[in-house]
Amino acid sequence: MKKIFIIDYGYGNLFGLKKALAYAGADVVVSAYPADFSGAAALVLPGVGAFGEGISEFEKRGFKKAVLDAFFSGKPLLGICLGMQFLFDKSYEFGEHAGLGIISGEVKQLSVQPGTFCKIPHIGWNALWPPDGKNSFSGHLLDNVTPGSQVYFVHSFVGYAASAADVLANTRYCDSVFPSVVCKANTFGVQFHPEKSGAVGIQILKNFISLL
Amino acid sequence: MDIPKIIRIIPRLDIKGANVIKGVHLECLRVVGDPGEMAARYYNQGADELIYMDVVASLYGRNNLLNIVEKASQNIFIPLTVGGGIRCLEDIRNILRAGADKVAINTHAIKNPDFITEAAKAFGSQCIVGSIEAKRISSGKWEAYTDNGRVVTGLDVVEWGKRLVSLGAGELLITSIDQEGTSKGYDVDLIRSIAPHVCVPVIACGGAGNPQDLTDVVKNGHADAVAAAHIFHYNQYSIQAVKEQLKDRSIPVRMAAGNL
Amino acid sequence: MLSNQLSSPPHYGLPRQVTFCKKCVIPNTRPTASNEYTHHHARGHDYISFDADGVCSACRFCEAKFDGTIDWLKRENELISLLDRHRSRDGLYDCLVPGSGGKDSIYASHILKEKYGMHPLTVTWAPHLYTDIGWKNFQNWIHIGGFDNYLFTPNGEVHRLLTRNAFLNLLHPFQPFILGQKTFAIKMAARFGIPLVFYGPSPGENGGNTPITQNKYIFTDAQQASYKSAGFRLDYIDDTANYDQIYLGGKKVADYLKEGVLEGSLSPYLPLDPRITREKNIEFHFLGYYLKWVPQECYYYSAEHAGFEANPMRSEGTYSKYSSLDDKIDGFFYYTTYIKFGYGRATQDAAQEIRHRHITREEGVALVNRFDGEFPQKYFKEFLEYIDVSEEKFWQTVDEFRDDSLWKKERDSWVLRHKVAL
Repeated sequence: MKKIFIIDYGYGNLFGLKKALAYAGADVVVSAYPADFSGAAALVLPGVGAFGEGISEFEKRGFKKAVLDAFFSGKPLLGICLGMQFLFDKSYEFGEHAGLGIISGEVKQLSVQPGTFCKIPHIGWNALWPPDGKNSFSGHLLDNVTPGSQVYFVHSFVGYAASAADVLANTRYCDSVFPSVVCKANTFGVQFHPEKSGAVGIQILKNFISLL
Repeated sequence: MDIPKIIRIIPRLDIKGANVIKGVHLECLRVVGDPGEMAARYYNQGADELIYMDVVASLYGRNNLLNIVEKASQNIFIPLTVGGGIRCLEDIRNILRAGADKVAINTHAIKNPDFITEAAKAFGSQCIVGSIEAKRISSGKWEAYTDNGRVVTGLDVVEWGKRLVSLGAGELLITSIDQEGTSKGYDVDLIRSIAPHVCVPVIACGGAGNPQDLTDVVKNGHADAVAAAHIFHYNQYSIQAVKEQLKDRSIPVRMAAGNL
Repeated sequence: MLSNQLSSPPHYGLPRQVTFCKKCVIPNTRPTASNEYTHHHARGHDYISFDADGVCSACRFCEAKFDGTIDWLKRENELISLLDRHRSRDGLYDCLVPGSGGKDSIYASHILKEKYGMHPLTVTWAPHLYTDIGWKNFQNWIHIGGFDNYLFTPNGEVHRLLTRNAFLNLLHPFQPFILGQKTFAIKMAARFGIPLVFYGPSPGENGGNTPITQNKYIFTDAQQASYKSAGFRLDYIDDTANYDQIYLGGKKVADYLKEGVLEGSLSPYLPLDPRITREKNIEFHFLGYYLKWVPQECYYYSAEHAGFEANPMRSEGTYSKYSSLDDKIDGFFYYTTYIKFGYGRATQDAAQEIRHRHITREEGVALVNRFDGEFPQKYFKEFLEYIDVSEEKFWQTVDEFRDDSLWKKERDSWVLRHKVAL
């Protein structure tokens, strides 16, 4: 069976992700060794924490090449939360840090007018909406996902895609709208945690797995 | 007021040994069920998150939940917060590795506030929930307790809550000892005294008896999320029924058509 | 072995060898109830019995509650028959429930009223010094639970004198309270013509030598001869007894009178003429005989039905919050027990919870080793003022009562020779 590799670069709680992918039908391996990745049919790039430290560790362990190779060879790649943010050109979290440049755009702080109920970080369930007022999602990752379906977010920063074509879904939080699902060829980024998003999350993982 | 985001409904399971128990005013140990069964039931009914609290961890100086957490995270794909007796980074690491997403810390944070900062640095603020057990001492004033409501600290709850956030807690879980287990409603004033003054989400806990109580603590207390035990454990209301009623009262909730 | 090292036999008949129950955490030094009216310094006690397997009588008693030995349906029917015979048809009180507004008396009075249609009169002998939580719970018992109540507060000067003497002579400051409380119930039953009085649990639940088949206190000599418990002997004040044979606070009543204390002042503590008890057919039943008694369930019930609140923080000397909350000097009852008999409040709470399967023996041992013997510092000053004893004299007296067989001096501290272990 084709294997999906979860990249373990020391950031992110991988246990739940592994369980969810397995539940969704994948043969999952967690690996901290880039050399293994040539054997992967798809890659998942998780992440929780600060961009600067995260990407520094990610690169130090040699994953940058593995991920860029995957992208250029059309291997399915899913970035989750901080992992999605890595896909962008750069991030402004605690300084300026270069990302992988797969998706053009920048990662900035979620711009929300602070107030009662409008708290940072954005923690909780929120809805996915097709961009441009469309009434269904395009892109394979969101097959069978109804517009308005809710998924679980935990973040303070978001990746703003430069090209609207790269955005598969937006999410509204207080007075702010941001991309919650991005895509370039076979590389996908989700700002939320599909492994914590109940049935909707499992559906999205299933869709990803079906790309293999 | 218009509530601009989805309010999370979180069943709280107090655990002693192998059982879910339910006390009153955080006292006594009546067994109400099996943690795995109850977690699965709540997940299927549409719970947004789960909280597991080991209520005797501080008493016995032990951590007992790892097996229970592992089992729960097998087939439950919503965030799980685990608390009770967390004293060092290793404890947090083990609990997260067992499948939890967040840890709730009370007693040890009061003993050593720097622990919150260390933990937030190591695991991220979003992982660290500052947990407060609050008892009213006079109108508008509450005192913080530790050891599952056994030891008084002299700390003012509002001040301590703010401090926890500045130390690095990504959320606050506030439990009213006065209301806990009584089904007489949340301590709305308690939540109101903190929630609007901290920039992180506040989870209200203690006293829910019916959906109107949840409505009150959100609309008037400004809780970002509500935790409840009694009404769910004793099957007084299903999670779905509670969410329907909240929706009717203009509180946005996640209406999942079953989780599986 | 140990006895060779002792300079004298253990005080008050303590067992020579201290052992702990195999199932709970109680030691064999736990005294059973005794006739406090004959209690003076040199008198011995009886102690809880352990069977051949090293299990205490309280554990066996509680086992029987859960293992099918007792037919609870049958017992409830016995209760119903008893109550049917007494239930008032004219609105007057038909049973008496003595208590403090703690979880036990709330449960007993409320269930008799709500479930069984009785009309209880509740009576209370005031604690020495009410705690805030105690007074609040007492009021809630009456106002939320819904009961008529007579609160008797004994003459403060007399009560303090007796308590002081009890502390100095017996290291048992609660003795006058215990005596007064018990006899008050009977007197009120007699005064109001209420022959049926309910206590909560049977003494056997905690190690009193009362078998599970006993449903009420036994008063007559003949009946009592078959039981070891002398806790409720009322029949000694007859024509032959006199004030030289009755002790209060470890001092003869005759001596009090010689010193100018009025007989009338002491009468609240002296028992009712047993002939009146017999004439009026007053009976003290244990509700715990008829209904399965689980203290934590009493707590839940009381919280639900009468607004009962646990202590805001754990009681000193233990981990629990739901028991024995209403008297500022409660802590000294438990502490003096710890000194005299080598076990404290945590031991008692843990033993009860083990017996009712809320905690395991391992957990009990951990709790005892962590909390037992913790000094009740919070109201120490008030206690000293109450009994008019200096701190120096307090410790002097406490140390006098430490038996060699239980205590040893290690460097500068007193340490128990025996600790409960797994």
